[in-house]
Amino acid sequence: MKDIIRAAAAILIISALLLFVNSKLNDSSGRSGKDVITVYNWGEYIDPDLLKQFEDETGIKVIYETFDSNEAMMGKIEQGGTSYDISMPSEYMVEMMAEKDLLIPLDRELLPNLQHIDPYFLNLPFDPGNRYSLPYFWGTVGIAFNPTLLEGQTFEEWDDLWNPSLRQEVILVDSARETIGMGLNSLGYSLNSTNLDELREATDKLKRLSPNVKAVIGDEVTQLMVNGEAAVALTWSGQAADMMYENEEIDYHVPEEGSNLWFDNIVIPRTAKNIEGAHAFINFMLDPEVAAQNADYVGYSTPNLTALDWMDPEVTGDERFYPDEETREHLEVYQNLGLEMLGVYNELFLEFKMEMK
Amino acid sequence: MGKLSSLPKLYLTAVFIILYAPIFYLIFYSFNSGGGMSNFESFTWEHYSAVFEDTRLIVILLNTVIVALLSALVSTAIGVLGALAIAFLRNQAMRNAVLSLNNILIVSPDVIIGASFLILFTIVGVKLGFASVLISHIAFSIPIVVIMVLPKLQEMSTSLIDAARDLGASRRDILMRVIIPYIKPGIFAGFFLALTYSLDDFAVTFFVTGNGFSTLSVEIYSMARAGITLTINALSGLIFLITVALVLGYYALGKKAKTDLTGVRK
Repeated sequence: MKDIIRAAAAILIISALLLFVNSKLNDSSGRSGKDVITVYNWGEYIDPDLLKQFEDETGIKVIYETFDSNEAMMGKIEQGGTSYDISMPSEYMVEMMAEKDLLIPLDRELLPNLQHIDPYFLNLPFDPGNRYSLPYFWGTVGIAFNPTLLEGQTFEEWDDLWNPSLRQEVILVDSARETIGMGLNSLGYSLNSTNLDELREATDKLKRLSPNVKAVIGDEVTQLMVNGEAAVALTWSGQAADMMYENEEIDYHVPEEGSNLWFDNIVIPRTAKNIEGAHAFINFMLDPEVAAQNADYVGYSTPNLTALDWMDPEVTGDERFYPDEETREHLEVYQNLGLEMLGVYNELFLEFKMEMK
Repeated sequence: MGKLSSLPKLYLTAVFIILYAPIFYLIFYSFNSGGGMSNFESFTWEHYSAVFEDTRLIVILLNTVIVALLSALVSTAIGVLGALAIAFLRNQAMRNAVLSLNNILIVSPDVIIGASFLILFTIVGVKLGFASVLISHIAFSIPIVVIMVLPKLQEMSTSLIDAARDLGASRRDILMRVIIPYIKPGIFAGFFLALTYSLDDFAVTFFVTGNGFSTLSVEIYSMARAGITLTINALSGLIFLITVALVLGYYALGKKAKTDLTGVRK
């Protein structure tokens, strides 16, 4: 009995010690003032030095937390019990959150750095007039491929995926909008199509792709491509950038018929306690120098026009990640098609997956 | 211990290699000066120093350990009492019912437990953070402790208690000097199992973290989205080392407990 009590006491003492160290660390990493904002962001999606810089410049302490999916993030904000002042949802999630009244409108007067954002990325259908959100990073959907594993194939157009020589080589993302959208694009239709005939045609075309499909998976594709276990993948530009970072042989291309343009956006959730601090943070992140440093760190494309001047021209001149005006014209942002239409997309995608051998 | 013939030995070795290879692979690359896990360039400590420079990561690591220690401690205390109550319930049907309720909690999916806790906490008005994580970890660890302690209680012969009573021991003496020393290995096993459960739980913890309080599993999960960085490798290596140390400590304790049982009472 004695040794159990002794063990318990030891654990309590150790915990108390750790708590003490922890609070010391917490104090030294931030300021003692009451001014605090809580940022809820994707993992590895900000340069941590910038958080420190923000704290030094404004005296506002940043509490930083991360999430790994839009849905999980919204679930927590919707349920309450938290006090996030800033979050970074993708474009379709901005629309859903706005519909559910989970966002606070932005005050433009507190955001003078707004002028640096490329107007091309503003006033888009998912958030008309940018009432609730501002773009944080953006990218495209395209084809990542490893030329060393292929016999000189290029992917100028989506139809190149159907090439019989790619038997069992292509990896698709396990997501209805992306895959069906690719089918629609390859036929020259809009990827927001709600025309059932077009959707049927796209699905039938996808079914003809199935001999070439090696797998339909999620984020695991990065590792497969990096290790050279897969040659071709339909993927997002950000993920392609990750692949290229680890394996220089990989290349990325957005076919010319058009593709999807996606955004992650800064918003202020309904749960915010420090709305003024949140605006200060957004304005800070829109500062060209800051945005440039952040884009360097994260590796995604920044919508900040002025920031491009601060960045390595080799990066900003890379048309794979900063496509020219002409390519951009062919890009489409996902529209919210409503639950019913989304159901149709999911059903067709399921049908395609089931018929795969 | 009997001698194993060569075939089972070979099989056992293969199993252990498969189990440990990924961990050693991960630790091996934590010393890689190159950026990724594809080719080893040269030896470096930089990822380890990156772990120690990142105060946020250290704070999260300490959070994780504190929650694990405290939740394991409290859940062991409650779990042992629970096991005692179940073991000494007179009514057979009642005992089975309580035991089943306990087991249901063990098999029910973490996601559901986590979501229910989130809903409960927001209804009651508990702010998400340290308290909510600690409470939920205690809650899901209790059934595990019960399951670890109960067999020890059941294998204990009732004649031990009868003998103690015949010799004039009070109820308190029976509990403190007979039962608890007897089930001590179970208590320690329950404690360490609760500790590891708390350390690696993601699903429940994800729902109840908030307001700047986070644990390693939640943090690593969202970090891994952008590909595993070698900092995670280094951190995992450190945790692996700590775990090995803990297990060795557990064995040292277990050995001591054994000699205690056979030796004279303390």
